[in-house]
Amino acid sequence: MPAPDRDVLFEEPACDHNRKKSDKQKKAGCPKPKPGATAGGCSFDGAMITLVPIVDAAHVVHGPIGCAGNSWDGRGSLSSGPTLYQRGFTSDVSESDVIFGGEQKLYDTITEVAREHNPAAVFVYSTCVTATIGDDLDSVCAAASTATGVPVVPVHSPGFTGSKNLGNKLAGDALLRNVIGTVEPAYTTEYDVNLIGEYNIAGELWDVAPVLSKLGIRVLATISGDARYRDVAAAHRAKASMVVCAKALLALARGLESKYGIPWFEGSFYGLRAMNDALRNFAQLLDTGDGVLLARTEALVAEETARTRAALEPYRRRISGAKAVLYTGGNKSWSVVSALQDIGVEVVASGATKSTEGGVDKIQQLLGPGGQVIKKGSAPELLRIVRETGADMLIAGGRNQYTALKARLPFLDINQERHIPYAGYQGVIELAHRVDLALHSPVWDQVRAPAPWESQQGPAGSRPAGLVGAGVR
Amino acid sequence: MARVITTKNRASIDPLKHSQPLGGVLVFLGLAETMPMLHGSQGCSAFAKALLTRVFREPIPLQTTAVTEVTAVLGAGDLLGTALDTIREKQHPEIIGVLTTGLTEVNGEDVAGELRAYHDRRADDGPLVVRVSTPDFRGGLSDGWSAALAALLRDTPLDELDVSTRLSDRRVAVLAGPALTSADLDEIVDLVESYGLEPTIVPDLAGSLDGHLAAEWSPLTTGGTTLAQLRRLGECGRIIAVGPTTAAAAEVLAGRTGAQVSQFDHLAGLAATDALVGELAALANRAGSDAAGAAVGTTPPRRVARDRARLADALLDTHFFLGGARVALAGEPEQLLATASLLRDVGAEVVAAVSPTADPALERVPCDEVAVGDLSELERRARSAGAEVVLASSHARATAARIGAAFLPFGFPVYDRLGATLRPTCGYRGSRELLTDLTNTLLDHREPVSQAARHGVLGRSRTTCTPRDLRPSVASTWDTGKSEPRSQSDTRASDVITESHEESMC
Repeated sequence: MPAPDRDVLFEEPACDHNRKKSDKQKKAGCPKPKPGATAGGCSFDGAMITLVPIVDAAHVVHGPIGCAGNSWDGRGSLSSGPTLYQRGFTSDVSESDVIFGGEQKLYDTITEVAREHNPAAVFVYSTCVTATIGDDLDSVCAAASTATGVPVVPVHSPGFTGSKNLGNKLAGDALLRNVIGTVEPAYTTEYDVNLIGEYNIAGELWDVAPVLSKLGIRVLATISGDARYRDVAAAHRAKASMVVCAKALLALARGLESKYGIPWFEGSFYGLRAMNDALRNFAQLLDTGDGVLLARTEALVAEETARTRAALEPYRRRISGAKAVLYTGGNKSWSVVSALQDIGVEVVASGATKSTEGGVDKIQQLLGPGGQVIKKGSAPELLRIVRETGADMLIAGGRNQYTALKARLPFLDINQERHIPYAGYQGVIELAHRVDLALHSPVWDQVRAPAPWESQQGPAGSRPAGLVGAGVR
Repeated sequence: MARVITTKNRASIDPLKHSQPLGGVLVFLGLAETMPMLHGSQGCSAFAKALLTRVFREPIPLQTTAVTEVTAVLGAGDLLGTALDTIREKQHPEIIGVLTTGLTEVNGEDVAGELRAYHDRRADDGPLVVRVSTPDFRGGLSDGWSAALAALLRDTPLDELDVSTRLSDRRVAVLAGPALTSADLDEIVDLVESYGLEPTIVPDLAGSLDGHLAAEWSPLTTGGTTLAQLRRLGECGRIIAVGPTTAAAAEVLAGRTGAQVSQFDHLAGLAATDALVGELAALANRAGSDAAGAAVGTTPPRRVARDRARLADALLDTHFFLGGARVALAGEPEQLLATASLLRDVGAEVVAAVSPTADPALERVPCDEVAVGDLSELERRARSAGAEVVLASSHARATAARIGAAFLPFGFPVYDRLGATLRPTCGYRGSRELLTDLTNTLLDHREPVSQAARHGVLGRSRTTCTPRDLRPSVASTWDTGKSEPRSQSDTRASDVITESHEESMC
């Protein structure tokens, strides 16, 4: 994608954050990564996160082995059927491809994959090396599609263009340009919806979709958890969209609105309040004027809230008042805060490194005046905050799991690599269960105790100062 | 011994290969107080870090120069200096490993020149900075490992030593290749020490990524070969290099210190371990070692003798099950060398062997044919050869399931099983453990029902097409000696278990 086209992605009129930026800020684009002090994935990673959950498609990486070799078969999105998305396909660009061009090899790879694996579609991802050598992805994809009769979608998101977030945007753009609107659904209902930015991590979609169907709401397309290519391609026939915890895909929701008139809202499935809000928002957008869906939704919200509260009661007694430091990216920073508060956990600090200013305000509002907003999330900084606040546990992404464990601190994984679903009503209960298990595990006393050959105080550093006695209740 | 089959420049389906930078990073992770850094886009290190974290279940120190499309075009040299400054200021490492990637190699960055300029600018005593060229469009993990280890031993400043400490018979440098687990390194250390010798392992992943709870969290590696140890490698009179991947580094070190090199392809099995032990005994003799009561020469240390006797016994016990067993194998070249050798020693048959990259060592793998390819190649070969068990990385679990074979996760990466780094695979103890693990895997896969199946209690219900039946003589391990064709009732359990799957493939 040429740079001017990509700049358009930074203009997001639906995004408060973007609207507030000055022209100069807009021109600056995303903050540049700092050499020697950067964590987090690249745009290619982001594009894969958004598209790989389309389970019946083949995902072909056009690049050297570093890109696919380290990442295939490593995503937490689950499928209810096809497993093709888990296979690793790559053109495995070699030195001679770098010199002579990798287009023929890419073409051969796509046609071989189409022939042998019968994919519903093939997504083709460019990478730093193939973007640098100037392979014409669009032409190869068009030719391969003509030859095989299978849709072949180019995704221009080489890693060096920026962060994961930009990759999410570029993937959304690829769907809007090349996929959505190319297939008509077999049938439609009054209550067809899209879930944008829901990746079915650990099967979360399966705790949400059944609740929606109780209301008569059909998920026409998820973008892209447990999605089938043809459903995504038919997403333009939905009656409403929800953007689930993903500012990066606002452009996609807005594109669906401007091209196909589909109204949308931003929400989250984490926590009781957020889940209730999501259902109500859907009901309002889908209401045909008779108020039937609105009434049905209120009844369900009341019933589910009561059921969930009752199920949470035993956990509440055990975890109420526990203090947690939360460190996660983007919108999850506030949506998970509210979920944790719903189960009685006091969030004493929450990360906001990847949140927008609006997001930061929202976090501060939720945390109250005593809560800390974490601006810088390096491991030593997180541990310092834990000590300072006397927190009982760290809730963060897998990358910080070992930060916590090595400091002998209870930990809960909240990011995309996790294996436990936390969405919807069932998810809130699961969250309470997992927080309880983490806090009250018998391992903490043992690993904090000195070895027999250490004195009772232990040598300096054997127990991190400040964590001693930190709270397992 | 093996015919090596290479298909030129094919795409990869279910890649077996890992990139050169990853192999290089692993070498630096085996050094203490170290920070490896990839000179490339931020994703290069993020992906590598995610995979290594998944495998080792440990924090992985790894940084990036975070090249963007603008700096890729205009030159990324400044980023390198900035990154080194930042790491030095924040983490104070003893060693920084700078590894290039496909991106910086394609751009033709003059990394050596940039680093020289950097050192000229910052003339102060900083950490040891080691530069390695590891483009990920060439070679693979083993090549990156080899290049990084050689670069490390090329660039490490060696201490000046006087005659009394130089090239001591008692001191041994052990250069480790990528096929060795943490437990393997422990095993080698135990063997060397039991002969009263003092080993220095390079790189020592058993000290850093073995899974230990350190006193406190650290942004750098929390163990491994120290810079001080590296600087005193000139004390080592003997270099024991384990795996062809270490050969280049051994040559570099020997060229600098004058030490003698003992190069081993691998240490799997009785004969291979005997060769090492013989060597150690000879060294101990020369050193006149009787330190700590360790025996000199012919009388073996008690534990060594005991472990050898146990391995010999395990060979006897497992040969009933592994003799004639049809094994499919995939892994780094020296992993194939080691494992195929152990399998040959117990009478098993390697019916499919796939290496991610070409390597001269592959010709020495004791089986008919080694293919250079991916896991889809392994699947094709294992299926047509009727493999009973697949030994490969966690990625191959699905491969094994599709062909209905037993599966033992092994090599790199193993991420769906805990404790893989602490399973020994070489030496007397490790060889024994691998043989029994493999036997148990086969037993778990079929034994409980196979007797019933053999006696016709479990009959084949409905099968229209079974690839297994089309195969020429797939003799089960337990059928050895039976020459007549299997009768209809002689259905093996695996046929029944995998039936539905096979049908779906027909």
